[in-house]
Amino acid sequence: MFDVEIDYNMRNVFLSCITVVLCIACNEDDPVVPIQPESVLAGGETTIFSTGPDAFTFPLANLDEAGLSRHFIADGIFGQQFVSAPASQFGGIGPLFNQNSCESCHLRNGRGIVPQYDGDPNSGLLLRLSVPGAGAHGSIIPVPGFGGQLQNKAIFNVAAEGKLGKTEITQLVQYLDGSTIELVRPVYTILDPYISLPGEVLISPRLAPPVHGLGLLEAITDDDILSLVDEHDADGDGISGRPNIVWDVLAQDTRIGRFGWKAEQPTGGQQAADAAHNDMGLTSFYFPAEHCDGQDNCSDGLQTGYDADDETTKLFAFYFQTLAVPAQRDYDLPEVKKGKQLFETIQCAGCHTPKHITGTHEIAALSGQTIFPYTDLLLHDMGEGLADHRPSYQANGQEWRTSPLWGIGLTQVINPKATFLHDGRAKTLEEAILWHGGEAEASKEDFRALSKKDRDALIAFLMSL
Amino acid sequence: MKNLLSFILLLTFTLGFVACNDDDNNNPVEDYSTILINTGENVILKTYESLATHAASLQAATQALEVNPSQANLDAARTAWIATRSPWEQSEGFLFGPVDQEGIDPSIDSWPVNVTDLNNVLASANALTVEFLAQQEGTLKGFHTIEFLLWGETGQKTVGEITTREFEYLAAAAGALAADAQHLYDLWKPSGGNFIANVTNAGNGSQVYISQKSALEEITNAMVIIADEVANGKINDPFSQQDLTLEESRFSANSKADFANNIRSIKNIYTGVFDAFGNGDAISDIIRDKNAQADAAVLNQIDLTIASIETIPGTFSEAIFANPAAVAAAQQSVRDLQAILEEQILPIVSNL
Repeated sequence: MFDVEIDYNMRNVFLSCITVVLCIACNEDDPVVPIQPESVLAGGETTIFSTGPDAFTFPLANLDEAGLSRHFIADGIFGQQFVSAPASQFGGIGPLFNQNSCESCHLRNGRGIVPQYDGDPNSGLLLRLSVPGAGAHGSIIPVPGFGGQLQNKAIFNVAAEGKLGKTEITQLVQYLDGSTIELVRPVYTILDPYISLPGEVLISPRLAPPVHGLGLLEAITDDDILSLVDEHDADGDGISGRPNIVWDVLAQDTRIGRFGWKAEQPTGGQQAADAAHNDMGLTSFYFPAEHCDGQDNCSDGLQTGYDADDETTKLFAFYFQTLAVPAQRDYDLPEVKKGKQLFETIQCAGCHTPKHITGTHEIAALSGQTIFPYTDLLLHDMGEGLADHRPSYQANGQEWRTSPLWGIGLTQVINPKATFLHDGRAKTLEEAILWHGGEAEASKEDFRALSKKDRDALIAFLMSL
Repeated sequence: MKNLLSFILLLTFTLGFVACNDDDNNNPVEDYSTILINTGENVILKTYESLATHAASLQAATQALEVNPSQANLDAARTAWIATRSPWEQSEGFLFGPVDQEGIDPSIDSWPVNVTDLNNVLASANALTVEFLAQQEGTLKGFHTIEFLLWGETGQKTVGEITTREFEYLAAAAGALAADAQHLYDLWKPSGGNFIANVTNAGNGSQVYISQKSALEEITNAMVIIADEVANGKINDPFSQQDLTLEESRFSANSKADFANNIRSIKNIYTGVFDAFGNGDAISDIIRDKNAQADAAVLNQIDLTIASIETIPGTFSEAIFANPAAVAAAQQSVRDLQAILEEQILPIVSNL
């Protein structure tokens, strides 16, 4: 809730102050301000400069006053815990759900935490489910009695669908310099299902991703994304890349997917409503019915209207659409500069496209920004090691959307228990790189062949983002 | 919650800092170790220790109430709840670290209470144990569920109106709260999770704070956040909407004490003292050195704010309707404190 009285003109005064500070501060000792690469401002004019545990919690630096007040209201809604209906406030959770607030999974707007033990109720990882085959527009076919996602919690008197279990497979990777590293792959299972599961269930574990900068990703134009498509690898670099084409429930049409580990959601609004619907059991104007797939455990006691009213549904999305990304740090350290070079040389940038210029967005602050998210928002075959074998729309069982890298170096500052990749299997960025395969196999092999010093430089670059 | 001014100042000073990075490396950096150590060991850790101790007493009081449901034992349990609430509210000026990262805050202090599910659980045959509650959502346990059971919706409940199942639930919920409070203390203390080392060793091996400044910024930001939360959430939501269902701690009529203790939390951190602990090495020292007027302004405003909250006549629920001027004055006082913290204190810390 915003109530310090500063109007938009005042902000311009403050922005001019920045220039003044720069000049004054550097006047005597150093008349030449070091040249700062434009990539330091990862979010263009929206960029903020926090390096601490709250680095993903700031609104866009250039958001206007009306946007800021709305952002602060949305901040409260994003953290709000919902309860069983009927309730005087915030009713409508469930009946089946994974967590009762957005923030329960997206800790400090960063990543969730993988389950610490079988049945851990506080995890930010969930299981997407389906049975083999494709439904309308290539969508998944939900599992009868379970739907497209395992809800491991329920309101009282309703049976939760089951619990998460995990086994681990360990493997050893060797660098060409002889040193080795142990990688652990989790295999998730469903424990104590409330009814028996059909014979073949496809399971895709998904860790809650960070939510900063999603408005900027939404503002990248379709044309920009499509210009990066190289579905049949015409340029012969081993990297193809294609968009997911998914269902837009409001437009009732297909559209390029952008959000989620497999780019299954086309817009920020639908992404938010889908998460509220599947993860919290909140119906909305996007998804008017509870997610009951032939289930009798599916009434939350609220008979009329949507669990989340239209304003609440819009605020869920507005919050993350207006979250800023932090600036790059330590960009002028020699090691970081070297790492940046290696990032290009070994073709990481082939998928993690550094730069985009945003188009027009209904939130004006997001429009026309030069940004550095390090993603092409396309699907790529990442090999058998990362495969979930659960196709969704155009994405096959080995394909994943390129994850944005901005802010990734602050992941464990924000949440020391946070881990990387779709199922949170990588404890470090080094492990995450080594899990890359498929189209990224050559880059991974190049990394494996680097000297320790060069590997450290590449990691140092990633940590600066 | 953030606001524009702090945010622009952060932007301004960080840009200034970035641009002059090379020069600043040549300047001696002041060492704030004693401040971080005192703040960590004597304010934060001792507050959490007090919370754990009081929560254990609350559990004992609810167990005595379950065994012997007398009005005297109900009163004792209510007193124990209020005593436990005090260190918790005095910890909300530093809601960072394990309380935030380990999901402990929602388990201890969720709002609202899930009354529908609570009634369903009470009507069920489920054994009401600490283990059962440990698996439930925060909205079915923690301070406000216990408060709801001890006082009732209208705050008028007598011991004769409390059912056997409710006594059992109370003891289990207080047990879960005591376990959470102990867990939180354990995660901070050096012989446990040792999160405190991240604060005391900031910039010197801390995994969380890359510099002493970043730890001091987190601590200062947390003071701003709680001031904002009290003014624009806890007071504003029920007051502006004239809706008591939005008032935290209304069952126990403890809202005013909650707000005042939140401001005390700011005072404790800012001055480096909690109860009998602390040597006064604190952020106040840094500010006094850089801008004595700003330091005096904060100290003065903290005391004014606590007084303006505590002198609201009657309960907060009553005052919303009967004394809106007093509520508005207290709210403004918190906002003034927030403004000083943001406009005068945070910029100094961000520019260290």
